[in-house]
Amino acid sequence: MAGLQDIRRRIRSVKNTQQVTKAMKMISAVKLRKSQERLVSLRPYAGKMRDVAKSVVGRIKGHVAAEQLNLGPEARLFLDPREEKRIRVVLVASDKGLCGGFNANVMKAANAFLDTRAKEAVVLDVVGKRAVDYARKKGFKVHKEYLGIPLTGLERVSREVSDDAAKQYQTGEIDALYVIFNEFHSAMSQDPQVVRIFPMDLDAPAVDAKSETAHLLEPDPNTTLEALLPRFVETELLRALLESSASEHGARMAAMDKASNNAGEMIGKLTLTMNKIRQASITNQIIEIVSGANA
Amino acid sequence: MPEPIQLEVVTPQRRVFSAWVSEVSFPSEHRGYYGILPGHTPVMTPLGNGLIYYTQDGQRHWLTVFGGFAEVGPDHVTILARDSETVDMIDPTQAEADRVRALKLLKEAQTEHDLADAKAALDVSLVRIQASGHPGGHGY
Repeated sequence: MAGLQDIRRRIRSVKNTQQVTKAMKMISAVKLRKSQERLVSLRPYAGKMRDVAKSVVGRIKGHVAAEQLNLGPEARLFLDPREEKRIRVVLVASDKGLCGGFNANVMKAANAFLDTRAKEAVVLDVVGKRAVDYARKKGFKVHKEYLGIPLTGLERVSREVSDDAAKQYQTGEIDALYVIFNEFHSAMSQDPQVVRIFPMDLDAPAVDAKSETAHLLEPDPNTTLEALLPRFVETELLRALLESSASEHGARMAAMDKASNNAGEMIGKLTLTMNKIRQASITNQIIEIVSGANA
Repeated sequence: MPEPIQLEVVTPQRRVFSAWVSEVSFPSEHRGYYGILPGHTPVMTPLGNGLIYYTQDGQRHWLTVFGGFAEVGPDHVTILARDSETVDMIDPTQAEADRVRALKLLKEAQTEHDLADAKAALDVSLVRIQASGHPGGHGY
């Protein structure tokens, strides 16, 4: 049987761990709030942007041939999907671990999606150290690594990637841009998403009753689309990054909460064992004294 | 009678404004001010810097807008602004200080890039000053 001393030591060690997990939980809660604020304020903008872009693009496709509108290369970006020989995928994970199934989930989604493609046909942009490790292990070609990006730096990342990807699309280096990330629902629930940003998915166009007729694009379709579409890509990427950031902190908060609870439970069990042992030794001593007195 | 146009102004940072109004006008990037009344034909256009005017309960109000897009339908105007502020968010003394500083930068500008930056800063400060004072008759 383990000695009293050993059990005391273990209790102390578990208590220390519990303090660490509690502190981490609190830090995550603060970070979660910041990310979530940013995400919640971007969502209406991103949603409107998507509606507008989809309805404009959907209508152009439905009503007139792109040739007739005399569109430039930028604007064409979204209009003619071509065979996806090479794709660029932005994989968003976290820099640090201890966040439950956060990274595992996004990797699983990445696996399911990327396994259907040839290795040579995929170029990855990786955000977060865990994503870098994943790409290395799987042997994917990595275009760019983004490590230790703070919340305020996400905007720059999304701009950089969208500019670069647009250029690559025009030179024919890539045929599509995807993003894989954890979508944030609440601190307890996130789910991984694979989204094609361009060419735009028009299978389910956001048609509402409000925009039944085609928009006039002023001053001319080319100028308007060339201004709108890059902003759309940027916004979508930024949203993915923010969703992932909020998800990460939410997942870590939940994981650390669970860890703290488990530690509490363990302390309870150990204390019980400790008390039993102590009581046993007291009982022993009493028996000894009593039998000694009887003799 | 309820107002006929739903005006919504959103930026990447926040939802600035959302309400029903009777009349809207906004500055486009290429074609000056657009005046929107109910039943307007659907239009989509990039925005310049300036003021968005709207009429609510017969009163005229305004917001600043710096770039972005406007999407117009028969019963709604959606502004996807790069940035936008309500009047109470503007500090007039700060805007004036910004204007003076921008003018100074404009004179000292060496490169094309500096010049463009100074011009943009001046533009922003002028719009803010206009918004915090009594705006002129743009669009009306």
